[in-house]
Amino acid sequence: MKLLMKLFTLISIFFLIFCLGCAGKGNPDFYLNHDIDFSYIKRVAVLPLDNLTNDKFAADSVRHVVISELLTTGLVDVSCPGDALAALEGLKIKQVQSLNAEQIKSIGKTLNVQAVIIGAVNKYGEVREGNVSAPEVTITLMMADTGSGSIIWSVTRTRGGAGFMVRHFGAKSETLSETVLHVVNEAVRTLYKY
Amino acid sequence: MHKKLLIVFQCLFSLILTIVLIQGCSPKHYVRGKTDIKGIKKIAVLPFENFTADEAAGEKIRRIVIADLLSRGVETVEPGEVTRVLRDFKIKSLNVLKLSEIKDIGKTLGTDAVMSGAVEYYGMSKGVSVNYPEVTVNLRLIETASGAVLWSVRNTSGGPDFWTRHFGSEGITLSETAGDVVREAIRTLF
Repeated sequence: MKLLMKLFTLISIFFLIFCLGCAGKGNPDFYLNHDIDFSYIKRVAVLPLDNLTNDKFAADSVRHVVISELLTTGLVDVSCPGDALAALEGLKIKQVQSLNAEQIKSIGKTLNVQAVIIGAVNKYGEVREGNVSAPEVTITLMMADTGSGSIIWSVTRTRGGAGFMVRHFGAKSETLSETVLHVVNEAVRTLYKY
Repeated sequence: MHKKLLIVFQCLFSLILTIVLIQGCSPKHYVRGKTDIKGIKKIAVLPFENFTADEAAGEKIRRIVIADLLSRGVETVEPGEVTRVLRDFKIKSLNVLKLSEIKDIGKTLGTDAVMSGAVEYYGMSKGVSVNYPEVTVNLRLIETASGAVLWSVRNTSGGPDFWTRHFGSEGITLSETAGDVVREAIRTLF
């Protein structure tokens, strides 16, 4: 009987640790302006992302994945990537990271979109963990309403590193491309919340 | 009676398994609703954007795409002809190609749709214990008449398989991987 009680206590402790370990997961780790009716956003433009990595193509690469994912999910229509760049050129905007509300409104009018997506690629590449290297990608995406010029959605997602099975048993690890797709997919999926 | 039932059950199981496998292997893609893909007879494949260290990767993938489309019975415009039209339109950079320009290119070449895209990854990647070929492509099909995106897909080859990782068996080459990635991507359309 005592042994059973000890076993029960042990299981309870483990259960508590697991539960506490997951604490905080219930809080949203992204921002969504609940005052906005997202259903009116039918068409968006994905502007060039800031590249904060050493890989010169990281931002372009992630931008294409974001466009592809938005189309795949069927949430919104996306304007032609070249049109977005042409609009920036036309409005003489050189730096996308320092857009003000008026510029966002102007882009919206030029491209006939209800929102623009801006963001940054913070990390893109392989990281070394002991004798194992694994891909790591971190992105930040934001959606700005072209009617008001304010941010209505923001999310940061990161993924990477070699898992236990990869490190110790040589299980199949993700490639950099797969990691990018997962990160973008996770970020875009938060838009489903509306 | 039992034998007949067993055979029917086996056939059904095989069919379900095949469907599951085919669905599971298909890359995620977008097809515009009410699109009549069979109506697309002629496509112009534009040069692809290249985000890789291999300067010729875009052109390599483009040739594979053209060859694959032709093998599926879709007429494609000669790459040289597309280049000539791009030169006539004074288009220097592909990443600033406007929708109106894409439509004009399609009309000039007499195509139903224009395919554009990007090569995100093309090369040998380093795994935990082995090197393996990695190819990632992003393709889009734009209707010439309306300028609407009809289809969009992103496909990647993934890492080395079980036998390569654990037993060092020879995997497929980079060219074979590129061919497979393009084939899987285009299969979602035609």
